[in-house]
Amino acid sequence: MKKHLIIAIIILVIVITLDSISAIEFIAMKSPEKLYPENSITKEASLSEYCSNLKGTSGDAEIYFFDSGNPGATVLVLGGTHPNESAGFISAVVLLENIIPKEGKFIIIPQACSSGFTCTDPMEGAPEFFTLKTKSGLRKFRYGSRVSSPLDQWPDPLVYSQYPSGQQLSGFETRNLNRSYPGRNDGTFTEEVGFAIMELIKKEKVDVAIDLHEAAPEIPIINAIIVHEKCRDIGASAVLNLEFDNLQYALEISPKKFRGLSHREWGDGTEVLPFLMETSNPIQGRLRGRTNSELIVSGKDEQYERAVETKSFRISYELTGEPLSIRVGRHIQGIKAILDSYNDVSKDKKIIFENIPSYDDLIKNGVETYLK
Amino acid sequence: MKFLTYAILIFFFTAITFSVSNAQTPKYQQPILISSAGQSADVILAGLLFKKLNLEYKTVNLAKESDLKGIKTLVIVPGFSSKGLGAAGISREDEMNRVVELINSAKEKKIRIVMLHIGGNARRGNQSDNFNKLVAESSSYMIVVSQGDEDKFFSNTAADKKVTIKLVEKIVDATGPIKELFN
Repeated sequence: MKKHLIIAIIILVIVITLDSISAIEFIAMKSPEKLYPENSITKEASLSEYCSNLKGTSGDAEIYFFDSGNPGATVLVLGGTHPNESAGFISAVVLLENIIPKEGKFIIIPQACSSGFTCTDPMEGAPEFFTLKTKSGLRKFRYGSRVSSPLDQWPDPLVYSQYPSGQQLSGFETRNLNRSYPGRNDGTFTEEVGFAIMELIKKEKVDVAIDLHEAAPEIPIINAIIVHEKCRDIGASAVLNLEFDNLQYALEISPKKFRGLSHREWGDGTEVLPFLMETSNPIQGRLRGRTNSELIVSGKDEQYERAVETKSFRISYELTGEPLSIRVGRHIQGIKAILDSYNDVSKDKKIIFENIPSYDDLIKNGVETYLK
Repeated sequence: MKFLTYAILIFFFTAITFSVSNAQTPKYQQPILISSAGQSADVILAGLLFKKLNLEYKTVNLAKESDLKGIKTLVIVPGFSSKGLGAAGISREDEMNRVVELINSAKEKKIRIVMLHIGGNARRGNQSDNFNKLVAESSSYMIVVSQGDEDKFFSNTAADKKVTIKLVEKIVDATGPIKELFN
């Protein structure tokens, strides 16, 4: 009897210890990263200013305004629509920690689906954090879930009916911000986030909006710029401009019948010219091996190397990997190319800015160099 | 005798003019119709190249036989895009049937077909290669961004069909062969 009691106490202690470690790690994901906006910042706000229901919730994402004070175009850059696509998030942080606008205004939301940064996707074995050694020391960034946290929106329906189209998708997609536009003021948690972003675009009269994403190497749409049909020429010109920088991109047109996506709903529902960019990120792939924070930063995976070497798959994967610096570099250079092309065709207003590293700078010096 | 001299002179002048004009007549003439095979947005990029060269062209993504009226050269840009098909609101099968019909119509009308593959690796693989093969085998001239021909897919087809293939490094480099073709 005494022996059983001792074994039971030992098991109980082990379980409590493991639970406590898990709880501490889980709660740690609720602490937001400290970001250091460039001195050119003119205003900080949050999404609840555009949808009051988000006030005090984890969906109330931070918004950073950089107004040159000179007339020009207004540009919105969205990172973290999918918090497990780290290059989108970090690209937005690089912008907000460096940008100096000269004409027009920049609005940056680095963690658009801020709820998704408070958890990871179940069954993926994903790390909660990754670190980068910057000028100020080691900075820790969250690696989140593709969708809003189930603690903020639950339960998922069996089938998600997108509002207002009624398009049916898997129930899981009900928490996917990039299936929830145009959203609604009194909708689900994620629909309210989508609604707030739509309202921001309308109220701030945004001219160009860029949504930054990543996808698995085996997905056909990587290293791509997806455009609404009303800005296809700007997209095409950007792709050709990027070629001069030795960066190859595919141009894709937003499907009219696939509803809920930023490039479709922003373009249909507002005056904005919407763009979405994708880079290739092995940690999101199904072939990946060891899934840890190093993979987020190095983008180097043995299983993808094997797939390339054995020609098992036709995938776009370099044997040197897809490091974060390259992925951020592609996003930053892509933003520059899109805005250059926009400036070429926009007669009355331009967006001019400086102090943003080029693709070559990011490759040469590493993304850490451009984070404070 | 005088009449004979004039007749000979006129004959020579006509022959020289004819041969000179023949030498200057390009094999591939304008106006040009640019269309897609697989609905990738590469067709938009192709349009920009032709625009840059001031060539007489029109782009019709979903071109049909009726669009060939008055056309001298058909340029087809192959490459599958699910988003592109979605944007066009058609299925893959619809697109394949359309392209087959367009090619057959062009052949009937003796309109020469040029293939322009500029999408590199992104426009290769199973989904794209059905379109790539169809267009490559129907073309009398191919311009290919070399990343899309790393496995000699297009070069081998060109060799089999005994047609010219020009490989270029970048999309913008395709302006060279295009200019040459229509000059």
